[in-house]
Amino acid sequence: MAKRIVLRLDYCIGCRSCEAACRSRFKGEARVRFAEVSETALVPLPCRHCEEPLCAAACPFEVIRRDAGTGIVYQSSFHCVGCRSCILACPFGVLDKELFRRMAQKCNLCSDRPEGPRCVATCPTGALQFIEESELKELRTGVRVAARSPNWRRV
Amino acid sequence: MTLSARTTCPFCLNGCELEVRFNYQFRMEYPADGKINQGRLCARGNSASIVIDHPRRLAYPLLDGKEITWEAALGKIRGWLSEVRPEEIGIVYSRGMSEQEIGMVQTWAESFGGANLVCGYIEPDNFLGEELAGARRATLEDLAQAKRMLIVGDAFGKSPVAAKHIVEARYRDRASRLVVIDSIKTRLAGFAHLFIWVRPGTEPWALGAIAGLIDRSLKGIDVERFARVCGVESGQFQEAAKIVSGSEPGVVISALCLGHSTQPELHSLLSQLVALKAGKPFAGFGEARLPEGRLPFGRFREAVAQGRIRLVFWFGGLHPYSYPEIFPEMKIVTYRVATSIFRPDEPLPGLVLPVPSELEKDSTGFSLWGEVRRQPVAKPVSGSRFVEQIVRELGGKAEGGMWKAEGGGRKVEEVVAALAAAPEPSDSSGDGFLLLGEKRAIGIGGFFETEQEISIHPDDAARVGVREADGVVVKSPVGERVFQVHVTPTVPAGVVAVGVNCHANRALFPIATLEPSGRAVIPPVKVQVWRKG
Repeated sequence: MAKRIVLRLDYCIGCRSCEAACRSRFKGEARVRFAEVSETALVPLPCRHCEEPLCAAACPFEVIRRDAGTGIVYQSSFHCVGCRSCILACPFGVLDKELFRRMAQKCNLCSDRPEGPRCVATCPTGALQFIEESELKELRTGVRVAARSPNWRRV
Repeated sequence: MTLSARTTCPFCLNGCELEVRFNYQFRMEYPADGKINQGRLCARGNSASIVIDHPRRLAYPLLDGKEITWEAALGKIRGWLSEVRPEEIGIVYSRGMSEQEIGMVQTWAESFGGANLVCGYIEPDNFLGEELAGARRATLEDLAQAKRMLIVGDAFGKSPVAAKHIVEARYRDRASRLVVIDSIKTRLAGFAHLFIWVRPGTEPWALGAIAGLIDRSLKGIDVERFARVCGVESGQFQEAAKIVSGSEPGVVISALCLGHSTQPELHSLLSQLVALKAGKPFAGFGEARLPEGRLPFGRFREAVAQGRIRLVFWFGGLHPYSYPEIFPEMKIVTYRVATSIFRPDEPLPGLVLPVPSELEKDSTGFSLWGEVRRQPVAKPVSGSRFVEQIVRELGGKAEGGMWKAEGGGRKVEEVVAALAAAPEPSDSSGDGFLLLGEKRAIGIGGFFETEQEISIHPDDAARVGVREADGVVVKSPVGERVFQVHVTPTVPAGVVAVGVNCHANRALFPIATLEPSGRAVIPPVKVQVWRKG
């Protein structure tokens, strides 16, 4: 089964360690973007690795592809021409508008690191988790948690 | 060829374990069996691999900004040493040094009489080393088991990795409670059950009121007056006192920040007083804490200004405070020798000697949770020399232990009396703005990224006539800098806040001397703000 990055919103402290880890790996631009949810919360927007990726569909040179086995949507940066089609196509806005070395920056779930993505390994509070798709259903999320636990932090 | 080495992160006192691998370039690795952090690192810890081979690393001695050889540099220093009298030599040690190196510098200073030995680390972290008699220091287990937490200041900014314990403790149990006291509504405040939003610089008074409510027998604490000083309702203190004094295990954490407190000594001691009265352990989240020298930094500045010191040695790694924009008195000094791991932005007068960073040293150091061992993850930068080597070539001896200042903990009565005698911070309203320092957890490029954002209240933004992302000029008594506006209600009206990870922002804060101890403090400062252009 494929593994995905999941964010536990109520554990995120907005420290941007994930961005720093990504940046230190790629020696330049980070591939994680951020969204400010409220005055006291800033959360990372990692790539969703969609089942039918619109960025791949928009790419004129088929640089962005989806690996059928692992489900990872990856980019062969050697052939990227920096046309920004994928950036415009992404419905979640996770691709950075700024090009780096005239190329779009696309997360590949750190496929060069067997232990998993670096942003997950470095997350200080464990807000980012790298879990199997099957486990996703078991996660307590959203309204159910709010109803159950008075400790739920509303961001 | 892949090489990897494991060491302890040198950038703060948490003692997180990290690994650096070399495979054509230095890359971070996150050992999951680390005792303190389990592989988790903050944004600064993640920049360790960047520090090692950064293009701005200094690789040769500089004399007035020009490259010279090591022999010429050492010859120059020997000449200067013969020219001045021993009492005219000031020896300063700053952060970025190992325990062994500090011991050696101290022994060397003793050979000159030792009178002008100064700890040059003047950030508030050093005040967290102050001890109150009877207060207990927290261990990692205390933090993990805590259910009642009182946090003063931005603990997330100071130590994002310890945030794991705080956040987990907050969610673990329905009964756990988190109280936060701060003058800025930080991200930590978003997690708090009770957030006491005090006026800038009045945290010690809030803590004094809480201590007085826990132990009614404490003399000299007027809760109503303290509430007026802090600008909050006294009911909030009662609620906080009730939460903290609960019988469940808990912890009191103080996270002081540069440019945030006028009375850092009281800030630290009163946090410990609350901890003592509530029967909880105390933890001070700082980045680095160094043993005090013989001469307090404030007195050292006076000596330099009066021309009593003609030769200054400034040993340290990252940001030596010898930079003239921060420490203007240094211009008067005839001869100056500083060590640095980076090439200064602009040429500095005197000698700047390259030293290896802490990541390239084999040493022991301190952490909040005990002693840590550091192993080199890379070879020292070519052309750099260890401080031990420099001192030995100048005639220092190899042996030497740490010299520690005497004096046990402070007494409770003494601390309460000091609070009563302390001047109340003036009201931030009126002409101009109060500039606060904020330890932001971010710092993606580590130490190299400039923080250009300034937080301002929406009403103030309307008054100045700026909107989000506009440019403003901020003028303090010692400097001027252009910032990008971030309009947010998390800062109170009349206050602007900047991040102080970046060296250029620190230069906006003048250094003040704290009486009667003579130690140096970096308090909030009144500034003028206007729209750029």
